[in-house]
Amino acid sequence: MTTPALEALDATQPDAARATPGLARRTLAVFARNKLALAGALVLLALLAFCFLGPLLHPTDQIHTDLSQAGLAPGAGHPLGTTDLGYDLLGRLMYGGRTSLEVGLAAGLLATLFGTLYGAVAGYFGGWVDAAMMRVTDAALAIPALFLLVVVAAIVTPSKPVLILIIASVAWLSPARLIRGEALALRGRDYIHAMRLMGGGGGRAVFRHIVPNAIGTVIVNATFQVADAILYVAYLSFLGLSIPPPAADWGSMLSTGITYTQVGYWWLIFPPGIAIVLVVAAFNFIGDGLRDALDVRLKNN
Amino acid sequence: MGLRSTRIRGPLGRVAVAALLGAVALVGCGPSGNVVTDLGATGGTPVEGGTATMALPPASTPNWIFPIGAPGYLASYNSAIQDLLFLRLFMPEQKGAALTMDSPRGLAEMPRYSDGNTTVSITLKKGHRWSDGKPVTTRDVKFWFDLIKYNKQDWASYSPKLLPDDVKAFEIVDDRTFRLRLDRAYNPTWFTANELQDFVALPVHAWNPGHQSPRQAFARLMRHARQFSAFATDPLWKTVNGPWRIEKWTTSGQVSLIPNKKYRGPDTPHLDRVVLKPFTTADSEFNVLRAGGVDYGYIPPSVMAQSTKFKEMGYRIDPWEGWAITYIVLNYHHPTAGPLLRQDYLRQALQRLIDQKSISRVIWHGSATPTLGPVPAGLLDADPYPYDPKRAKALLARHGWADRDGTLHCVRPGRGTGECGAGIHDGQELWLSLLSQSGSTETSNTMQAIKSEFGKAGITLDIRQQPLNTVLGTTVPCKQTEPLCAQWQLGFFGTQGSWYFPPDPSGEQIFASNAPSNMGNWSDPRTDRLIRATEYSDRPPPTSGRGDPHLASLLLRDYGREVARRLPVLWTPNPAYQVSAIRNDLRGVDQNPTLSLAPQNWYFVKKGGAGR
Repeated sequence: MTTPALEALDATQPDAARATPGLARRTLAVFARNKLALAGALVLLALLAFCFLGPLLHPTDQIHTDLSQAGLAPGAGHPLGTTDLGYDLLGRLMYGGRTSLEVGLAAGLLATLFGTLYGAVAGYFGGWVDAAMMRVTDAALAIPALFLLVVVAAIVTPSKPVLILIIASVAWLSPARLIRGEALALRGRDYIHAMRLMGGGGGRAVFRHIVPNAIGTVIVNATFQVADAILYVAYLSFLGLSIPPPAADWGSMLSTGITYTQVGYWWLIFPPGIAIVLVVAAFNFIGDGLRDALDVRLKNN
Repeated sequence: MGLRSTRIRGPLGRVAVAALLGAVALVGCGPSGNVVTDLGATGGTPVEGGTATMALPPASTPNWIFPIGAPGYLASYNSAIQDLLFLRLFMPEQKGAALTMDSPRGLAEMPRYSDGNTTVSITLKKGHRWSDGKPVTTRDVKFWFDLIKYNKQDWASYSPKLLPDDVKAFEIVDDRTFRLRLDRAYNPTWFTANELQDFVALPVHAWNPGHQSPRQAFARLMRHARQFSAFATDPLWKTVNGPWRIEKWTTSGQVSLIPNKKYRGPDTPHLDRVVLKPFTTADSEFNVLRAGGVDYGYIPPSVMAQSTKFKEMGYRIDPWEGWAITYIVLNYHHPTAGPLLRQDYLRQALQRLIDQKSISRVIWHGSATPTLGPVPAGLLDADPYPYDPKRAKALLARHGWADRDGTLHCVRPGRGTGECGAGIHDGQELWLSLLSQSGSTETSNTMQAIKSEFGKAGITLDIRQQPLNTVLGTTVPCKQTEPLCAQWQLGFFGTQGSWYFPPDPSGEQIFASNAPSNMGNWSDPRTDRLIRATEYSDRPPPTSGRGDPHLASLLLRDYGREVARRLPVLWTPNPAYQVSAIRNDLRGVDQNPTLSLAPQNWYFVKKGGAGR
């Protein structure tokens, strides 16, 4: 009875393969149907182009101050006006955006990478290893992240790599817990048992089976991590703990702009504020779209 | 990751947080507070009475009433209040660009020096009485002197060799006159300004009726002084001789003063009450000011550009300039930067790259003034090294520095003329690191502007910003062998002025060799000689006129000019103590550079009448 049934199944598989597009194409198709996600992706692309290609079209000196040009309102020569130190604001927005995006992306991805591995190891091995590793994350989660960030940033002088490490060091906890849950579910699957019976070790289980099977969760979480990391850069900069000048990022630009709220220098406030809102919204919409696209329940559709 | 339990979950939450960050800027846009008066800054008819409310500096809580300050309680607002209750013998008062100790507010006549300036005779002014009706006598001053003499280690203002060590004997001549025998001859101007300014009369009849020893009396008084909550009720503090007495003193730091009806001095109060109001942050004060909640407050320097709006609201804006100078400290004992900083030409070039005028005007919005030398700028007549980047570059080029890829490198090492100088090796890059205090947009911008100018000249300046306490803890005098000395090259802690002077702005504490506040370890025999002259000598220096009646000011001028020329530090704009916003109908406000208060001179005016 089983043999004909299996044959029948085998016979239908090539047709099914022809009828059903691959995982990547299906994911992309579902993602493209989500208009907000698509808009988020376009906004992100536009912001990346603005920050990294913009200076080619609008070259400015973002290193040397020019006090004779300080505090100019938007007008000819300076489409978005100038800062309190005479930097062209449009150029500074591009320059500062690089830091925000680079640090945000790197910190978000680093946190996701480390958190994923940590959670996968804890979840796969279970027992006392899991208990010990998860108590570490629980303890770390008990300390307010912003407090930790402020303390660390006050002790060391922030640079891009330092800022990435500081933010990633508090950001990995959330993906670690998330992936640990996934790993706990996956470790009981038959293919894991089969691999172990064939002599496969823990490393193979984690890297070849657990992590690849949780990749959907990892990717979705990564987009939120990046968005959060960009916000963290803004928080730290807002508190005066950013990379020393003349480096800039959107958070520090916003912080400086707020000093001049009473003076009416609106052009120092809106552009960096809007940029932060746009990039964080874009990442969140992309994350939402990817979650839908990678959702197992939607795959059959 | 994230904000943990306080976090709004989901994408909308994240967007909301981002939107909040962007929108926070919009809160409170534009000054739109109440118009407190339609009076201009001048005119009006004086009226007696009324309550004036003054804002205390952010996070300042008056917490000490005893005129002998304990360590940690020396804040200017504490001594400003004490001076209103217990009169000093000599009060500094502004006279032109300088300060005079000959103030009508002081309890004593100007001192007479004799025996080659080793004896000082002081006579108390007639008519001063304590609030319980007893006269103020020399025994009250002797009581204060004995308290600090026998408890000097507990007196926060004590410095070895200065008061009370420099007074060998305190002799009471009669009820109004006493004599001090000094341990050596002192420059009378310096001694009156920097030593006699501490003298104050304390009510011995009320505070030590049992004739306890100075040590026992001091211990008892200190116990009372630490009872912060009882300042307004403790009978001890009710016996005062100043124009004011305490009505309320809350534990949150709000102090309410009312006139002392027994005060017989020349400046009896016009107001019924003065309230000194504490604020936790400058922002909260600013909001209350805009709402018309204080009559005498302050605004952030960044709002100076909008002073017309405050004028429309009925306030006048007046920067309160302190008796201070501001500078970047140079660490001459740093292993690598020390040899660079010891070169006169290099310091001159660095100073010529600091555009103090533009920084004061643009970054500080006119609330700072250029520092010209080691004394307040008004006492100096010229800036020896005005901003001149071309001359700075030429000076460096003449001494063997050449531009390679935008940064200067030493190409002519050696000690000779036209060479880089001792300790600078061939190919060494002109690179310096500055540890600056964080938390101030103006300071941060000033440092950026300096870095930018240095960069244009080929000098690399790395700026490290740290909280003020970290900077103060790092930039301390050190020996070349100490590891701490290698931790900083240049230091800046002058967001509110680097150094506030005593009335005589002599340099024995900041630029004399091994002085306690000589953070950069500057040591120069000529500077030391000039400082000693301001402190001890009353003879004219070689460059001064003979028999000049303003001898002491000439000595100070010579010291000021010489040290301004030598550049032991880099002078930077000196910020105002605060940018005051004062209600137009509150008059008589004199912003004393020593940060003392005289609310007895304040009065309100109303429209119309003869005063218009």
